[in-house]
Amino acid sequence: MTNPNAKTAALPYNRSRQAREAETMLDHITDDFDDNPPSMAYFYDLFRRAYCRGESIEREGVRVGTTCIHAPEELIYAFGATPVRLCNGSYHYDQIGADFMPAKSCSLVKATLGMLSSENAIPKTGKLDLIVNPTTCDQKKKASAMMAGMGHSVYELELPPAKESEQARVYWQRSVREFAVRLRQLTGKKLTRKNLMAAMAKTSRAQVAFRTLHNFRRKAPSLILGKDVFLVTNAYFFDDIDRWTDAVERLNAELAQREKDGFCAAQKKAPRILFTGSPPVFPNLKLPLVIEQSGGVVVADETCSANRMLYDMTSVDEWLLNNMVDSLADKYLKPCTCPIFPNNDDRIRRLLDLAKSFAVDGVVYQTFAGCQVYEMEQRSVAEALNKAGIVMLAVETDYSPDDLGQLTTRIEAFLESIKTRKRKAT
Amino acid sequence: MKRLKDAIDGVDLNRFRIWFQLAMFVLLVYGGYLAINLGNHLPMFACGFNQEGRGGICYLMPLQHQLARPWPQLFGMASLGVLTGFGIFWLWFIFLNKGWCGYVCPLGTIQDWITALRRRLGVRYARYTQDQFRHLSRVKYVLLALMILIPLGIGGGWFSRDMGTPFCLICPARMVLPLFTGDLSHLTVDFSSKTAVAMTVLGMLITGLFLTGAFVKKRFFCFFCPMSALHYLISRPALLKLRKDGDKCTRCGDCYRACDMEIKAIADDVKNADIMADDCILCLKCVAACPEPGALKATFATITIFESTEAGFIKRCQKGIGLDQPKR
Amino acid sequence: MNFDPIMGRMTHRFAPVLLLVSLASGPVTALEGGCVLWISDTSPMRAEGAPARRGGGMGGMPMGGGMHSGPPMKRLWLLSGTDPQKAAFARGDADASVETLLVTPSKPEGESVPPPGEGHRGLVFEMPAQGFYRVYVTTRTLQERMLNLNVAKAEVGNFGHDGDEEEHDRAMTAPRALENAAIEIVRERQPKEGPFSQVRSGTEQSFIVLRKGLPVPDARVRFVSHQGWSKEVTSDGQGRARFQVVRDYFPPWGEFQKRFKATYLVIAEFDATEAGNHKDQPYTSVRYQATLSGSYYPSPEDYRSYAWGLGVGLLAALLSGVATYLYRRRRLRPFQEVRLDEKA
Ligand code: SF4
Ligand code: SF4
Ligand code: SF4
Ligand code: SF4
Repeated sequence: MTNPNAKTAALPYNRSRQAREAETMLDHITDDFDDNPPSMAYFYDLFRRAYCRGESIEREGVRVGTTCIHAPEELIYAFGATPVRLCNGSYHYDQIGADFMPAKSCSLVKATLGMLSSENAIPKTGKLDLIVNPTTCDQKKKASAMMAGMGHSVYELELPPAKESEQARVYWQRSVREFAVRLRQLTGKKLTRKNLMAAMAKTSRAQVAFRTLHNFRRKAPSLILGKDVFLVTNAYFFDDIDRWTDAVERLNAELAQREKDGFCAAQKKAPRILFTGSPPVFPNLKLPLVIEQSGGVVVADETCSANRMLYDMTSVDEWLLNNMVDSLADKYLKPCTCPIFPNNDDRIRRLLDLAKSFAVDGVVYQTFAGCQVYEMEQRSVAEALNKAGIVMLAVETDYSPDDLGQLTTRIEAFLESIKTRKRKAT
Repeated sequence: MKRLKDAIDGVDLNRFRIWFQLAMFVLLVYGGYLAINLGNHLPMFACGFNQEGRGGICYLMPLQHQLARPWPQLFGMASLGVLTGFGIFWLWFIFLNKGWCGYVCPLGTIQDWITALRRRLGVRYARYTQDQFRHLSRVKYVLLALMILIPLGIGGGWFSRDMGTPFCLICPARMVLPLFTGDLSHLTVDFSSKTAVAMTVLGMLITGLFLTGAFVKKRFFCFFCPMSALHYLISRPALLKLRKDGDKCTRCGDCYRACDMEIKAIADDVKNADIMADDCILCLKCVAACPEPGALKATFATITIFESTEAGFIKRCQKGIGLDQPKR
Repeated sequence: MNFDPIMGRMTHRFAPVLLLVSLASGPVTALEGGCVLWISDTSPMRAEGAPARRGGGMGGMPMGGGMHSGPPMKRLWLLSGTDPQKAAFARGDADASVETLLVTPSKPEGESVPPPGEGHRGLVFEMPAQGFYRVYVTTRTLQERMLNLNVAKAEVGNFGHDGDEEEHDRAMTAPRALENAAIEIVRERQPKEGPFSQVRSGTEQSFIVLRKGLPVPDARVRFVSHQGWSKEVTSDGQGRARFQVVRDYFPPWGEFQKRFKATYLVIAEFDATEAGNHKDQPYTSVRYQATLSGSYYPSPEDYRSYAWGLGVGLLAALLSGVATYLYRRRRLRPFQEVRLDEKA
């Protein structure tokens, strides 16, 4: 096993190649743009500490890693444990992970495996007591055994292969209940109405903050750039939830002020882009960054590292324990637009609705090389969007910085074509 | 205008419903003492057997009476009376559509009270599987057909008069509602003839089932209610409507979760704008539980009166996020 | 002063006028059978106990049920005899003088109608308005030196189910006795009685004997049930006599009809020493006799059982409750819902 870590082990972390990767990205995010909202400083700082300086942001108590948005975090919080989302965006870990997976695999899965295999995983959230791996795409499924091989204790949360049928729903509700039982064994604590309610309140407060932020992005001209919002939602992976919510609420207050002042975060005519497909995870914010560096603005997204993770909220009819857990299960299954499910009508409708309500000019569809499901849905999505008169650019990429030049050219051309169309239209 | 709309869309619907239903219950079950009489063509179970307190009468009773007239009479002069009766019923009905069920019907309200009791006791509710749902959902049409055919048969001389108002004989409202004015006389088995014994025993069996059923299953009886079937058949021109904008729906299922009648289509159907299903009681809980602005709405004569909004949803459905304290 | 529900006006209690009539408690105290005249709404030719056509007011129902055009007609029969089932048509007596008076809601003072005769055996009249109609047939016969004065009375309700409340109320408060009736019996209403109420067997029922609108104490009052069972009491100071409407209907279960219409007959009598002339013949005493008949129906208690009703209901609730509970217990075993069957 060739571990690049071994060579740089002698260097302090902040001078390692890994830290430089993060630092370069963060510098672009902060320095390439004027007028970053002052309240974004919290997030810039958080990432600098965690990713560039390798500072520990260790969490108290039982830590539960999750590899997907399908793991119900409210349950984890209710047992007094802390969820940490493990999906990783680092090219450095992508290379390490390449040892575990075939060459043509998804960067995200590889990077996650790479991170889990290393001793001092960045961000430093501390040793994981359990990894919850929902059985979503094949690559993640197969990663289970590998994680276990690395010495982690892994729990496979069984997700049904389809979501429409009532059978699938009941099956999933049962999976979630069993997950709660597993958490009870892990933590030795009891699940009660009261602590679940408190946990749900925590998450929904975060979701309300997110939705407010999301709604500010409807405004044209834009009040905030997409690269910042991706950073905010990425922070949700590992930051303390209450602190995160406070920071987002501050940001929202600032955006409200900006709105009042008639502030524009981007050019008035900047093409408004909807981002969909494989999830951008810091430091791999390459594509959104290129879009905004080239004069576009990402006004909305449909990815599992941002919108899909935080948007859909739970409704409970009767606040009794079983009902609350089933409600949670419903929220994690029914609205999900993940491409692993057989039908993608929900995803298409969601994209069309976002495109319409956010006055979007074009859609950028990112597919990680090796992610078959996103690749397979690309055609039907493009067709549906085109039918609605919205142009779409499909981009296949991975975590390596090699295609940056080529990406920039394509994106610039795409944005240019949008501008031309807009000019013609007026 | 906007402020008023926001206030309405943000209303705590469940609380509003509790009070509204209570007021309607008093009106229809005790209104008689205040000389209130809304006539005998009401489109829900304001049971006429609650002789003293009734503030109006359920249309099924006069309907069954009328249909049991001897045929020459029924198809002669009396047909006019039957038609006007139906017309008055229809006028009442189109006004609120199935909202009569979700907001006015005393038997529906009683079921909601029993549900509240179960919730207090911390007992979870039962659900049907999709298959059971599909089959059971037809029962109400069968009951409706029998409720019309048997009286016609009496009028034609095939059945005994002891079968008169056959549905009333097995309707749990006949036993339950008079209890509220202290009339216990319907909790009996009538031994005066074999038919009477059979029907009253059936009635009491159904009443027993009603109590358990309503305890474990939300709106247990409404699922089988022939009034609900009759409603659905004539609901097209109704003024109050439940509408859905499928484009805005994320199919999150929040509405389905809130629905007492387990109507899956409310979440899954994104094609039909007129979304009221035959089992729907137009309680509008789904609208209150929908987080997507404008995805679900109630309209009255095409004017939107209550619409799903994000702010309203958060206020209603997210307990304890600092806005108000969690409570049951 | 208090409101008199019978005369429908305010009266002084214990009106002293009563004593104008000196009451004789002569040797003949038992009621005599043969010549008792009374009005029935069931013809003796008709099968006994036929169920009333619909609901039915206290004093019988209008006939026809609105099938023919015009106001409903009512036909009554003057019978003689003390057994409701065996009484026959009263024969015309040449000596007797008969006056017939019909009191309608619009004519409270009454109008005369032709008495039944050989050609038409019934008393027939129209009931154009809603309310109670009363018929008085007063017969005077001389028996030696005693005048027999018989007032047979019937009370018939005419109400439509769609009639308005106000009309019902007016009918229920209208006066029920004649101020100039030589003697009459008024059935006292049950509490909460309405125009459609029926007398049920087993209930207590009281009757008041009046003479010219004033109560008659110490009159001999006899109640005869449908089966001919009778009981006699003496009216009290307010002219009131109470009876239990006995249950006398015990058919085999298969023939039981809950709408079985039975007829009771009440006869009140007293003698008075009054002198006068009847058809130029003098008399020295008068025997006052009043009759009133009505219908009663089996009481729901005769055929309804709470024990069974509650038993069945509770059983259903219990069984379904236990079944639900067990089902829920069983359901704890997961993945049991799919069953494979080799034969299917
Ligand atoms: S018994 Fe039922 S159907 Fe009959 S009047 Fe009462 S509520 Fe209506
Ligand atoms: S469906 Fe329910 S609420 Fe509606 S009339 Fe029937 S019992 Fe009442
Ligand atoms: S709650 Fe609203 S968004 Fe969710 S499924 Fe129902 S209608 Fe659609
Ligand atoms: S569909 Fe909506 S209005 Fe109809 S019963 Fe269900 S929750 Fe109530």
